Amino acid sequence: MLYYGRSVRICRNHCVSAFVWVAVVVCLSLFSACTPGRSANVGASREITDDAGRRVSIPAKVDRVVSLAPNLTEIIFAVGAGNRLVGRTSYCDYPPEAKAIAEVGDTLHPSLEHIIALKPQVVFVSTSSQLEVFTQQLNGQNIAVFVTDPQDLEGVFRSIEKIGEIVGEKDGANLLVQKLRQRTNAVEQAVKQKPPVRVFYQVSGEPLYTAGHDSFVTDLMRRAGAASVTADVPGAWPKYSNESALAARPEAIILPTGGSMGAANANVAEALRQSPAVLQGRVYKINDDHLARPGPRSVDGLEEMARALHPDAFAR
Amino acid sequence: MNRVTLRKTIVACAVLTAALLLAIVLMSLLGSEPLPVRASLCALASFGTSTCGLTQDQFDILFQIRLPRILLAAAVGGSLATAGAGYQALLRNPLAEPYLLGISNGAAVGTMIALVFFTTIEWTRPILAFSGALAATLAVYRLARGRAGATPERLILAGVIVTTFLSSVIVFVTVMMDATRIRSFTFWLLGDLSGTSKALLPATIVIAIAGALALTLHARSLNLLMLGERDAFDLGVEVGRVRIVVFLVASLLVGSSVAASGSVGYVGLVVPHLARLSLGSDNRITIPAAALGGALFVIVADTVARTIIAPRELPVGAITALIGAPLFIYLLRRA
Repeated sequence: MLYYGRSVRICRNHCVSAFVWVAVVVCLSLFSACTPGRSANVGASREITDDAGRRVSIPAKVDRVVSLAPNLTEIIFAVGAGNRLVGRTSYCDYPPEAKAIAEVGDTLHPSLEHIIALKPQVVFVSTSSQLEVFTQQLNGQNIAVFVTDPQDLEGVFRSIEKIGEIVGEKDGANLLVQKLRQRTNAVEQAVKQKPPVRVFYQVSGEPLYTAGHDSFVTDLMRRAGAASVTADVPGAWPKYSNESALAARPEAIILPTGGSMGAANANVAEALRQSPAVLQGRVYKINDDHLARPGPRSVDGLEEMARALHPDAFAR
Repeated sequence: MNRVTLRKTIVACAVLTAALLLAIVLMSLLGSEPLPVRASLCALASFGTSTCGLTQDQFDILFQIRLPRILLAAAVGGSLATAGAGYQALLRNPLAEPYLLGISNGAAVGTMIALVFFTTIEWTRPILAFSGALAATLAVYRLARGRAGATPERLILAGVIVTTFLSSVIVFVTVMMDATRIRSFTFWLLGDLSGTSKALLPATIVIAIAGALALTLHARSLNLLMLGERDAFDLGVEVGRVRIVVFLVASLLVGSSVAASGSVGYVGLVVPHLARLSLGSDNRITIPAAALGGALFVIVADTVARTIIAPRELPVGAITALIGAPLFIYLLRRA
């Protein structure tokens, strides 16, 4: 009870400080009853730069957050702040405890009313759900919007650390990142001597989509001892020419499927049916949730890819 | 058919057929992967019986990927332009177009239902697309027919209503669908020929040719109908029967092309209009000319779509709309 009361007071003070910044005059007239000394002390908020390059003002103590992407939900739970998550999207199905949390729509169509009603202090979004108007409206409600958009595995680690810092689980986040780094290093050491396998990453077969230069999966593949044949294609998830895929003659094909993807994308695209990868039986299905969600389980995806592509490097 | 018209028809069709064949050959030399020109021409001339020194991969690119896609582009373009010419003649409205009247959207909803409920049964797609196109056609026709008959404005308004209504149905289904399938779906809705289905290709081509022939055979009746339904009736045209035939054939054409490639817009507007501008408004010439010209137009548009940012691709509908929308505005201002 005491805990709750304190959080409300902090929030109120934070509101005051935000108003000072926005409209000093209005604030002075409306909140003259507030004790100015206290607001300067407790309401002190931190400024943390997000992946959109915005300096986001975060309250000193955060105990109500909303996640608008499954990877962010996974990160919040992994750093030990699952009990502070008050809203999630319909895609957020991991860890299983997440399903008990209130839904606020899906990543592309979140319900603003739901979010505001949950009274979060911070809403975490991935850039795909990032909308200018949306952010403005939440900021108007004194809810901070924090954007994450990792371009590579390092970016994922940074997201974890920043989210940990925001929710006050800095130690947990650092420990997690340390463990993930160790596992990543182990994989990279194991495949270091192996010649990279030329891989085609099939996001969907019809129409044909792949992972391009800006996708963090491309970085993940590089670390797993793969040379993505589409590593230099501009964009993160480009639609790709069938004939270029055929001409690339990949030695292996990665099919992200299963998980929340269900049975979708379980078959190799028609243009690749005669590729060396298919002829040599080197088509690897990997849980899409481990590859498409830049979060703690990305390292699982990394390990699975490396083991599939270089089985002898991991033979014991 | 008098001799002058007959000769004009034959000349126009011969020229367009030659241009179409030339386009099929030339456009199959273009793609994101360069192919040796002479060997490719040699292989094409042998109808794929000889590789002419092409590697297996090059041969597959030419005959398994490019050529089927070009043939599909031709069938889709021919179908949509023929359907457009048919609607324009029957409804006496130069702005009637499958996409603008919401008929493509009707077919798209049908295809979506097929994709959602009969994922693996490919032939349900064209059938449901045809049903959707026909339903949308009838809806637009009913809405457009006021006491004063169907004025061009009324028809376009009815088309807008049907289009927007069906668009919201599509959006609704898309939202209900799981996230992983949305992207490929939005691409498909813009019109995309990359997923050329080998199973549907022959049927799409046969329907395009049969549909163009069927409407050409009714071209004389359509000419008379352009005088007005009453006059046409007095001149011996079975107005009701012609209307049903044109609606059915055009819906079939739109349905088969949408099932194969999504909604490629403006083809049915741009091509018949160009045909009328250059060849006059005799449907006996414009319908076959539109069929051939539509095939030509979409082949070229799709070549642009698949090469301009290679190895990435654009949806072909974006290219046809880029050309078609300004022309539509021009036509609207002149009308």
